[in-house]
Amino acid sequence: MKTFNKKVFNVTYSVFAICSCLAFGKLCSYFAPLLPSSLYGLITFTLTLHFRLFDADKIKSTVVWCIKHMAVCFVPAGVGIVNHLELVRQFGLAIVSITFVTTFILLTLVGLIYQRYAVSEE
Amino acid sequence: MLITELLHSHLLSSVVAVTGTIVLFQFVAVLQRKLNAIWLQPMLMSILVLMALLLWQDINFDRYFSNSWLLNALLEPAVVALGFPLYQHLETITKQWKNIVLTLLIGALIAIISSFIITMLIIGDYTIAVALSLKSITTPIAIAIAGQLDGNTAITAFTIILAGFFGALVGPRWLTYIKVKSPKAQGLAIGAASHAIGTATVSNISYEHAAYSSLALIVSAVITAITSPFIITFLASLW
Repeated sequence: MKTFNKKVFNVTYSVFAICSCLAFGKLCSYFAPLLPSSLYGLITFTLTLHFRLFDADKIKSTVVWCIKHMAVCFVPAGVGIVNHLELVRQFGLAIVSITFVTTFILLTLVGLIYQRYAVSEE
Repeated sequence: MLITELLHSHLLSSVVAVTGTIVLFQFVAVLQRKLNAIWLQPMLMSILVLMALLLWQDINFDRYFSNSWLLNALLEPAVVALGFPLYQHLETITKQWKNIVLTLLIGALIAIISSFIITMLIIGDYTIAVALSLKSITTPIAIAIAGQLDGNTAITAFTIILAGFFGALVGPRWLTYIKVKSPKAQGLAIGAASHAIGTATVSNISYEHAAYSSLALIVSAVITAITSPFIITFLASLW
């Protein structure tokens, strides 16, 4: 029972920590709309953990679970491709091909540069 | 049709949309583990199955999207949670911030310039060129900039999803193949090229991947937001 109560407390504590950082992120995004609120929230969450405003040990297990399962949250947005089928038909494979090629270039470039100049420096 | 009737009740349709999406995703994940099949990527397979289902049953996407509100609502907190791996590697990252920013700056500039030039050469449409130049960053920023620069926002949204899946599916294997095996370099590359979708996928590989990918997601978004209006206006003036 004690372990169960501790788990419930940790989950509640983590949800509070994440939601309060997101709320702060929304505030930042309202006054300085350079980044979306979730990214401001991400930065705030990192800083609050770093400056020990929240206890990382209590948060760890909940966050590990969240990160492990977060990909499912992107599924509805991904299904949105169904709304753009007309665009794909209209411009054929050109858009898809350019997207693939340029993403491929970016992946390769960033990976190689960082590995060659930064990782080898360590 | 049974599915269409179920969707008539709002509460029931929300339960069906959310539960159905989660069950499908978990089913594919279990199947992938059992069969050890890389191509059975849970996120991609779930999307393909749901797309086929919507088209087959003639269900409007907006209806499915509003009914799966719970998953959409969890998207923002899920991104915030990525701050944890970033916190765990903050010390190492602070020491290397110059290399990280420089690498991502080069990456963002090449991404914008190459996408714009290739699109203008092949398709020759400014609105599509703008859309493709912004596909590597997170959706809210890309859509806002595309709107400012008279780009096609529908194509921006579409290509952002495509770029996300491409990096998420092929990224780690391709990088390992070209001998980029460091989790830091892999994380940065995937975060820079495939934003949150790529970050969500590589977060399952290691915490180091998650930390560097989250960082690339933020830094690339800031760099692109600042530089892209100038670069795109300059490139457009040359055409």
